[in-house]
Amino acid sequence: MLDSLKDVIRKSSIHVCLINTGGCNGCDIEVVALLSPRYDLEQYGIYVHNNPREADVLLITGPVTEQWKENLRRIYTKTPEPKIVVTLGSCPVSGDVFNQEGGCVYAPVSDFIPVDAEVPGCPPRPSEILESILSVAPGAIATKGRQRK
Amino acid sequence: MIVPIGPIHPALKEPARLKLKTKGERVISAEIDLGFVHRGIERIMEGKPWQKGIYLSERVCGICSYVHTQTFAETFEKISGVQAPLRAQYLRVITNELDRIQSHLLANSTFFKSVEHETLFMYMLKMREPIMDAIELLTGNRVNMGWNIVGGVRMDAKDEHLQKIHEIILKLEKEFDTYYGMYAEGPFLRLRSNKVGRMSKKEAIEGRAVGPIGRGSGIKKDYRKSHHTYKDNFDFKVIWRKDGDNFARNMNRFDEIPESIKILKQAIENIPSGDTRIPVEIGRGYGEWINEAPRGEVRYMVETNGNLIKNISIRTPSIMNIDCCARYMLNDAMTVSDAIATYASVDPCIACAERVIVTNEKNEKIKIYL
Repeated sequence: MLDSLKDVIRKSSIHVCLINTGGCNGCDIEVVALLSPRYDLEQYGIYVHNNPREADVLLITGPVTEQWKENLRRIYTKTPEPKIVVTLGSCPVSGDVFNQEGGCVYAPVSDFIPVDAEVPGCPPRPSEILESILSVAPGAIATKGRQRK
Repeated sequence: MIVPIGPIHPALKEPARLKLKTKGERVISAEIDLGFVHRGIERIMEGKPWQKGIYLSERVCGICSYVHTQTFAETFEKISGVQAPLRAQYLRVITNELDRIQSHLLANSTFFKSVEHETLFMYMLKMREPIMDAIELLTGNRVNMGWNIVGGVRMDAKDEHLQKIHEIILKLEKEFDTYYGMYAEGPFLRLRSNKVGRMSKKEAIEGRAVGPIGRGSGIKKDYRKSHHTYKDNFDFKVIWRKDGDNFARNMNRFDEIPESIKILKQAIENIPSGDTRIPVEIGRGYGEWINEAPRGEVRYMVETNGNLIKNISIRTPSIMNIDCCARYMLNDAMTVSDAIATYASVDPCIACAERVIVTNEKNEKIKIYL
């Protein structure tokens, strides 16, 4: 009874923290475009507030740069359970063009923290970002919450 | 007491660290730390042909990604001693101005969010979406367009597409006046932004402020006036104000949107027919080019050996503007929330600002990449 009630509440209120680990801003402004009246992220119960201490979903954009190697792990441990990680764009998957000789990036993100979903694209369209968060987040948060018990 | 803000913080979109030295609620001085998103783009570009370089230069920054490719292409055209065909130049102007409008709307929406005015924040983003549609219609992508090449633009635009863009900007013009009035005459927003975060003209010159931030403090400099396409074919005026506070900077960005619409109308009306790209044989040597990005001047300094990029240096506007913000705007009596609003009014683009500094150019063995 309590579990099912928790599931319902967790599914309808998803708090998102956006972390730019060295991306070019392209994915970030597509997330900002999601806040616009056309896409209206908040009608699905998703709320972007950039505070890892109360987030359910960590949205990661960008390959991991030198400064983020330690800080990304620290942010992940500070986020309360249950938490899921969604990466946006090609950078967190492979490092994209920056992962060549001379670049100082340490992709992929999955080397540092466990990743639940990846949305490739440079940058992905706002509708794709929305679809991926909605398809993975509510179910994953609910199951992770029950596993922990 | 020192109040640290960032790198991940509800007030910031991009990772940067603000250290505010406070006495009670007053902010005495501030420091801004960068270095969170440095990827070493210039170093990757070295020893690569321009086709790979232009792809990388687009990913310097996501918001003003267009102007970086245009400047890159025009630097190479200058080195090679050619000019793109007139139709391609007009298409570049159209895309550049559309990009400028969306960037200014995004910058102002961030400011309204930072002063907790959600209504205008939503209106700004509502106005921005049709512009993104227009960019997508013309170039095929919303953010990283891949539209410029050395010697022109990649594709030709059809008349019906240009007609559609004309309709979109006419619609924007109608909407714009309402929301402009809300900010220009709204008493509460004025209280939060008038006489906050002041920078005098002398300080702006000392700190090399550029773009709408410099023009908000009275520096009448717009590099579009010295660009050959704009100088010969378009009629527009440079917007500037002398107050140098948050209100002046935001109004400056607002006032530039009708000017951009004016340029767009002229461009769509007078666009000539002809080729959109010409074959170019890349020359040897060193070249420089300056363009007016939405945030100010962007300067490319390139050295090629005819095929590969030997050396490249990119100077973006955000570096000077962020420095001006920390040094002059924030060392004034104000609250912490005003300090964040001032930081947002500068329109900081951190991904732009993290560039390479090459020291000791003569001795080729010693190079320091930051």
